[in-house]
Amino acid sequence: MTLNAWIPVFALMTSLIASLVIFALPEKGYRLRTAVNLVAALLKLGLVVVMVRGVFLGVDYGVSFTMVPGVTFVLKADAFSMMFAGLSAVLWLLTTIYAVGYLEDSPNRSRFFGFFSLCVASTMGIALAGNLFTFFLFYEMLTLSTYPLVVHRGTETALKAGRTYLIYTLTGGAVLLLAIAWLHGVAGDLPFREGGHFIDADPDIHRSLILIFMLLVAGLGVKAAIFPLHGWLPQAMVAPAPVSALLHAVAVVKAGAFGIVRVVYDIYGVEASSALGLLEPLSWLAAFTILYASVRALRQVDLKRRLAFSTVSQVSYIILGVSIFGPVAAVGGLVHLLHQGIMKITLFFCAGNYAETLGIHRIDEMDGAGRRMPGTSVAFTIGAFGMIGAPPLAGFITKWTMGSGSLAVNMDWVVVVLVFSSLLNAAYFLPVLYRLWFREAGVTWPHERHWGRLETSAWLYWPPLLTAAMTVMVGVLASLPFSPLSWAELIMLREYAP
Amino acid sequence: MMLPGSVLVLVAVCLPLLYPAMALHAGWVRAMRYVLPVLPLPALLLALGSEPGWQLEMPWLLNGGLWAMDELRRLFLLLTAVLWLVAGIYAVGYLTSHHLRRFCVFWGLTLAGNLGLTVAVDIGSFYSFFALMTFAGYGLVVHEGTNEAIRAGRVYLVMAVLGEMAILMGLLLASAAAGSQMLADLPEGIAASPRRDLIMALLIAGFGVKAGLPLLHFWLPLAHPVAPTPASAVLSGAMIKAGLLGWLVTLPFGEAALPGWGALMIVAGAVGAIGAAVVGVCQQRPKAVLAYSSISQMGLMVLMVGVALADSGRAPVLFPVIALYALHHGLAKGSLFLSAGMSLPAGAIPRAGAWILIALPGLSLAGLPFTSGALAKLAMKEGLLENRLELALASYLSPLMAAGVVATLLLVLRYLWILAGKLEIGDNPPMLVAGWLTAIGVSLVAFWWMPWDVGGLVESPVWLPAPYQLWALLWPMLIASGLALLTVLASWLVKQR
Repeated sequence: MTLNAWIPVFALMTSLIASLVIFALPEKGYRLRTAVNLVAALLKLGLVVVMVRGVFLGVDYGVSFTMVPGVTFVLKADAFSMMFAGLSAVLWLLTTIYAVGYLEDSPNRSRFFGFFSLCVASTMGIALAGNLFTFFLFYEMLTLSTYPLVVHRGTETALKAGRTYLIYTLTGGAVLLLAIAWLHGVAGDLPFREGGHFIDADPDIHRSLILIFMLLVAGLGVKAAIFPLHGWLPQAMVAPAPVSALLHAVAVVKAGAFGIVRVVYDIYGVEASSALGLLEPLSWLAAFTILYASVRALRQVDLKRRLAFSTVSQVSYIILGVSIFGPVAAVGGLVHLLHQGIMKITLFFCAGNYAETLGIHRIDEMDGAGRRMPGTSVAFTIGAFGMIGAPPLAGFITKWTMGSGSLAVNMDWVVVVLVFSSLLNAAYFLPVLYRLWFREAGVTWPHERHWGRLETSAWLYWPPLLTAAMTVMVGVLASLPFSPLSWAELIMLREYAP
Repeated sequence: MMLPGSVLVLVAVCLPLLYPAMALHAGWVRAMRYVLPVLPLPALLLALGSEPGWQLEMPWLLNGGLWAMDELRRLFLLLTAVLWLVAGIYAVGYLTSHHLRRFCVFWGLTLAGNLGLTVAVDIGSFYSFFALMTFAGYGLVVHEGTNEAIRAGRVYLVMAVLGEMAILMGLLLASAAAGSQMLADLPEGIAASPRRDLIMALLIAGFGVKAGLPLLHFWLPLAHPVAPTPASAVLSGAMIKAGLLGWLVTLPFGEAALPGWGALMIVAGAVGAIGAAVVGVCQQRPKAVLAYSSISQMGLMVLMVGVALADSGRAPVLFPVIALYALHHGLAKGSLFLSAGMSLPAGAIPRAGAWILIALPGLSLAGLPFTSGALAKLAMKEGLLENRLELALASYLSPLMAAGVVATLLLVLRYLWILAGKLEIGDNPPMLVAGWLTAIGVSLVAFWWMPWDVGGLVESPVWLPAPYQLWALLWPMLIASGLALLTVLASWLVKQR
């Protein structure tokens, strides 16, 4: 075993060990816990940076253990792994900082941060999994480690949301396991491979492959919140803001989307998926989800619920992108994995700031908040415009790339969906921005707190500003090497010419 | 020591773009007001001091950035910089402390967008700046916070978002057809594309929202008047031209004759030029009259765009004329708008002088000899000579232009008439007067030293029309004056009874 083989293991272990250490720490060890959290997050970020550079240069990171004959546990890092791992590492650091400030003086912080690290370890495992079996292990670990976070507050609504969440995700997990087992029976233990495995599959197994694909998408679609499997997500809004931020931007929904991309590109292969006629229905489903969830978002009065439906809509961009048989459109879908994460985490951080600082939860309470909290509101504005797809922000790069790619393969209807989705996004974000900046504030806020010089606690103030700056940067500097767009292009280059 | 254009352009765009950051420091808010006039200065230097032809390549920007300046863009850049400069000077004196910081932030962002789109050559940058101008402009429109402003803002925003989406779709399709991320490749790509007509429709409509194309103009007479006066001036003088520039740099001029689209634009231009005047003279508020006058004037430019589309050989001749006309109209209209926020001096002689200065840019719009308007009208006339054109509607153009002058002057007279009832005697803040006088000076005097080009259509000396041209310029104005007099008389008689 060389060092290269172990780097993915180390990257996985940082969050895992941090999690165990935090569980062991006493509830009062606030400083030590914060230190452990931040050191682990920085360490992981460093390891991911090393791996990104390595993957770019063509280094092979991988390690595998045979569990039982025919079933192997494989960790490896390819370009696509690093996309998800990078997202997870960067946003974990920021969310940790944010969560420290958000949960100041609240009970059960030890439990919270323990599961929080465990959840991040799961996403890392999902990113580095080298075959479906390994992927499944971490996928389920993610379910179990996020449940305590969703019900963290312990209220009646939180417990109810947690139940819904478990029912949905465990059922999804069972379906996924069934599909993986069936596929194992049909084709054996398949590692994720650029270009896939089924380009010249035996016609006898076509029917099975189609059915397995449907089951796989159904199982993964629960976490990716594809219609009609999205019902748990808006309910999970009762979780504290940092959890929502993580669930929406990084962990759960992205794990589902990531899995679907893996299945399409690295198990079946995009050509085989297209030949089996699997992509087109998937693209319709994604397009429908995009529009349906946006319409639902319009009618929400609670800010976080509106953002939740927006997530349902935006995650399906990724699915839509990869279900178009063409490299450019797929780049647009993949790049949204990062873009949506950065933008959405910004919006959730801001929603959390309004809730913590002013006690604002509903949209009609936001009048005039821009003047009271300019930093947070600027960040929110950038995030919202990014979601609308206004240039030169992250969302525009996604839409432009996906649009160009769809036109290149004569799927013009996708452009219409993109534009309609932009219109709907404008319809549910612009009124919020109007309230923020152009309405006069009421006499008092629902529940205001003060933090000296800044508009809110420094722990809460800087993360959204940083992610908002990233939203601008990944758009404006889209053509730099190692930008999300360039990285997505690298992935597709390797997928289409393995 | 003169900076090269490619460096100066970064300063010109980034200065207004970064200026809003001043708002983060509470102590700097008072200073923000005085920085307003400084913001467009580098851009002005760029337009006047750098030779067209420089390029700034930024391969890391969006999908590959390229900013450059050619003769056409230079005029639009100049117009934008000058107008924002005079409006900025005016704003220093005009603005109250009501949400001053917010206004300055949106001012800077809108200006950055408006300047940037004139030098952006790649699609991504152009569309980014265009969108920035559109969305930040909302903040200027609703600034006063009255119910009327909020209503106007809502209409503005809905139309603007629809327009943005049409542009996005049009640019996407055009970019795919051309296989390029540069504006310069779009005309050829559109002309050869099987989806040509769809792309044309999207771009014409999308940019048409900004340019006040008839049926897409509803927001304009609502939004331009409710904005604070300096913002009205840049909305109607400079930002409206962004739509025009959008057409000029994307549509397939000179690639293929498009008689259908040409005829459509000619008709739309004629409807705009005449129709807006009919509606405009019925308005009760001075700035609303000017907003309709802007639609009417844009109608004449739309008409020229239509001719250039229909007769592909004529496009290179007409481009400089359209740019010249846009420059003239922007400066004159800006001056007129700024006069709407003035107070009059007390003495009889200074007051008469003030009225002359208020009226002159308006008469310039109608083509008064020895003004920029006379030159623009003559160049347009020569550009649209019937025997030079190959299109069905050619014989209608000359009477249309004459009717346009009548319409223009009637609107200007209507504006002056309402203004006479509205303006009060009082003192003006010095900066407000300085801004207004600069605007008029630029429109009437400095214009003659600006780098426009009449393409040899008008014989030199360009400022001195020949006797027969004088008559051609004056007779529609006399008709309009006669009509106005008759109206005044009639209303006086009605009052007597």
